[in-house]
Amino acid sequence: MLNYIIRRILQSIPILFVVLTLVFVFVRVLPGDPAVAALGDYASKEAVQALREKLGLDVSLWVQYFRFLGNLFKGDLGTSLITGYPVAKQVIRVLPYTLELTVCAILFGYILGIPLGISAAVRRNSFIDYFNRVFSLLGLSVPAFYLGILLMYLFSIKLMWFPVVGGGDLSDPLDNLRHLFLPGLTLGLIMTAYITRMTRSSLLEILQDDYVRTARSKGITDRRVLYKHALRNALIPIVALGGLYAVVLIGSSVMVEIVFSRPGLGSLMVGAIKQRDYNTLQSVMVIYAGMVVVINLMTDLIYGLVDPRIKYK
Amino acid sequence: MKKRLIAIVFIFVLALFFTSATNVLAAAKLAKKQVLTIAFDAGDSKSFDPHRSATTVDRSTVDTIFNGLVRYPPGNQVKPEPDIAKSWTISKDKKVWTFKLRKDVFFHPFPGQSDGYKLTSEDVVYSLKRASDSKHSAYAGEYKGVSFSAPDAYTVVITLENPMSGTLFLAKFASYAGGFIVSKKALEAKGDDWFKIHPVGTGPFMFKSYAPREKTVLVRNPKYFRGASVLEKLVIRYMPSVSSRELGLRTGELDIIEGQNEEKWVDKISQLPGIKVQAFGPCETQMVHLNMTKKPFDNLKVRQAVAYAISRGEVAAFMGSSLAVPIYSSAMAPPAAGALTKKEAKKAGVLFEGNIKKAKALLAEAGFPNGFKAEVIISELATSYRKPMVGIQAQLKKAGIDITLKVVDHSAFHSLIRDDASPMVLYACWRPNADVFLSRFYHSDSVVVSGKKPDTNFSHYGTVDADGDGKVDSIDDLIEKARLELDTNKQSAMWRKAQIQLLKHAAVVPIIRLKYAFPMKSYVDLGHPLVFSWSTYSPQITEKTRILAH
Repeated sequence: MLNYIIRRILQSIPILFVVLTLVFVFVRVLPGDPAVAALGDYASKEAVQALREKLGLDVSLWVQYFRFLGNLFKGDLGTSLITGYPVAKQVIRVLPYTLELTVCAILFGYILGIPLGISAAVRRNSFIDYFNRVFSLLGLSVPAFYLGILLMYLFSIKLMWFPVVGGGDLSDPLDNLRHLFLPGLTLGLIMTAYITRMTRSSLLEILQDDYVRTARSKGITDRRVLYKHALRNALIPIVALGGLYAVVLIGSSVMVEIVFSRPGLGSLMVGAIKQRDYNTLQSVMVIYAGMVVVINLMTDLIYGLVDPRIKYK
Repeated sequence: MKKRLIAIVFIFVLALFFTSATNVLAAAKLAKKQVLTIAFDAGDSKSFDPHRSATTVDRSTVDTIFNGLVRYPPGNQVKPEPDIAKSWTISKDKKVWTFKLRKDVFFHPFPGQSDGYKLTSEDVVYSLKRASDSKHSAYAGEYKGVSFSAPDAYTVVITLENPMSGTLFLAKFASYAGGFIVSKKALEAKGDDWFKIHPVGTGPFMFKSYAPREKTVLVRNPKYFRGASVLEKLVIRYMPSVSSRELGLRTGELDIIEGQNEEKWVDKISQLPGIKVQAFGPCETQMVHLNMTKKPFDNLKVRQAVAYAISRGEVAAFMGSSLAVPIYSSAMAPPAAGALTKKEAKKAGVLFEGNIKKAKALLAEAGFPNGFKAEVIISELATSYRKPMVGIQAQLKKAGIDITLKVVDHSAFHSLIRDDASPMVLYACWRPNADVFLSRFYHSDSVVVSGKKPDTNFSHYGTVDADGDGKVDSIDDLIEKARLELDTNKQSAMWRKAQIQLLKHAAVVPIIRLKYAFPMKSYVDLGHPLVFSWSTYSPQITEKTRILAH
């Protein structure tokens, strides 16, 4: 197992390297100059040139690339080209907000999605099934920012239960949870839609398997057949694909962070793209790529736990 | 005698009672918590260093932290008044300006100076020299040919190579851009990079904390020379989503928000209970620059056809008549000096009001009876760029000019137009005076890419034959003469003359100026009327701003 984990981590290094290189090239291919972005359109050409030199943007791309790699190997993510604020400090500050949002959405997804999926599969083609299918279709089609605004309108404007601005104070758990609930629910409903559909289809397939029919013919109660035999097997793809959806969720969190004005990696990345803040953007992309690698690895490991047939070599 | 004494004592006690009662009533009107939260349409701050801050949110932030030698009164920035300087004198040749400084101005505390320190002329000279250095300042170009000295601790002498009118001179030393006075000790001890996220100034608010892409917190400066602010804390939030800002205002988490400059939106939000909307000017002017080096815009008749095809009134109505006002000058908009009114433009024969028939006739004369096609680059920003350009696109189409809009993000837009990539450039901005506008948009030195000091001369005016008489047309002389003119009336006349020439040659089509809308809670009292605020593009928060009981 340990060997497997080490091998997977080593395998991810070339992937990260490719991601780094692509991000480095793509961000510089885009028209736009960080020095102009930082100084604004009123700044003189000389001032823009002086800032370009100060930021090290006047040297060739190769030099910039090797400087970037060299700093990264030393563990130095550099400073924001625009604000001069250390990128590592920015990431450390916002990472807990992104992680708590993702975890909250996954929890919502599994807690709501699995029961809804089971009820739809067990009562196939009933009202509950139709309702769940429409609900999950809506969850998949409604954009996160629109759903977020709807929830804000209902829970914050009409009911005045939750705040709408910011991520709350991490040192104050209650305040933090109040700020987390609505964005977590927004992303969670999307995750719920995925999990519901997956649970339903996976369970329907299993319920038609021979061993389920055999179990029933032996007189085992439906409830026991469902939870003891069918659901355990149906959970395997749910866990496996759940990891994949968590990665999708990290992408959707960008819009939720912007709508709820939450600090987070998503809003950090979008801001960096807009301002051509190469250093911040490169670092955030590396972290995103790292998160995807870690989530995939964890999914594989959990897959082994729920399915004893899988052996790691 | 005794009766008289009793009467005096009685009147004194009565006066004391009324004064106290008034004070108590005034205090009772204020909310207990004096914390104001203002949210801007911005993803983040870029710099709190006033010599480098350029965005609306950063200009608004540094405006509360720093002072200048002079300032424009908050909310109605027409005539300068003393700020750090208590008075000034001008030599007869208008080359030497001597400023006497206040003696009660203190810099905010910073690591190593826990109590702050008293501002002297040393700080002012250091600050102005820094503003003149392009390594440290985005506004260095403003201070060429200017030198600074400090004969004593509270006197600053500014010497000019060439004399300058008060209009131009004071704008450079007002509490705006390079005119902000920074702390010499803080900068020498900590450096530029530290300073841009830990600003140290003398203003009513002191920097407390900055959370990137989230918020900046400022607190009351108890030693502010105009008296400590009523607000104890000012929170500036970065919120690019207008829906989120609107909802935050409605829940009361935000007190003032940068709105959307669209009439329908403003109408909707002003109907909500407990919210008032302040729309104020002059804000940004929107003009279409025509590149005279690119075909078919090298033809005067084509450019005049474009000018005739555009109806400012329609664009203004499209943007919302309560926010958008048509303009008739190629540099400034009234009430600023040098701007043309509609009447003046008409009298000079450069009105070019929307006239499709005339536009078509001019196109036919120019050899384009069926019109022509062009691709125009435009920024993604809705109200300043995309929306007015869509209106203009529809108007031009009527005349047979079929333009395709290539929408790019704002950073890319600024790079591409400076690379001369668009034959037509809609540019939205405000500049402090006509000299800056004319120099940077129409002087031959400022031509994009090929100018001596490439800047924002998108039309290439001053380097091409604009009217087809075989000679290069330029207003360089007029700009330079006006800059040296000391009589403000004569100076304004020269600026107007330059603008009329530009319009005659249809190098630029002035469209509208767009006011800004800042909805705020009814309980916010800015402490000043909000009429004309060009230095921040937002309501200024001063020591008098307060939150009333609600």
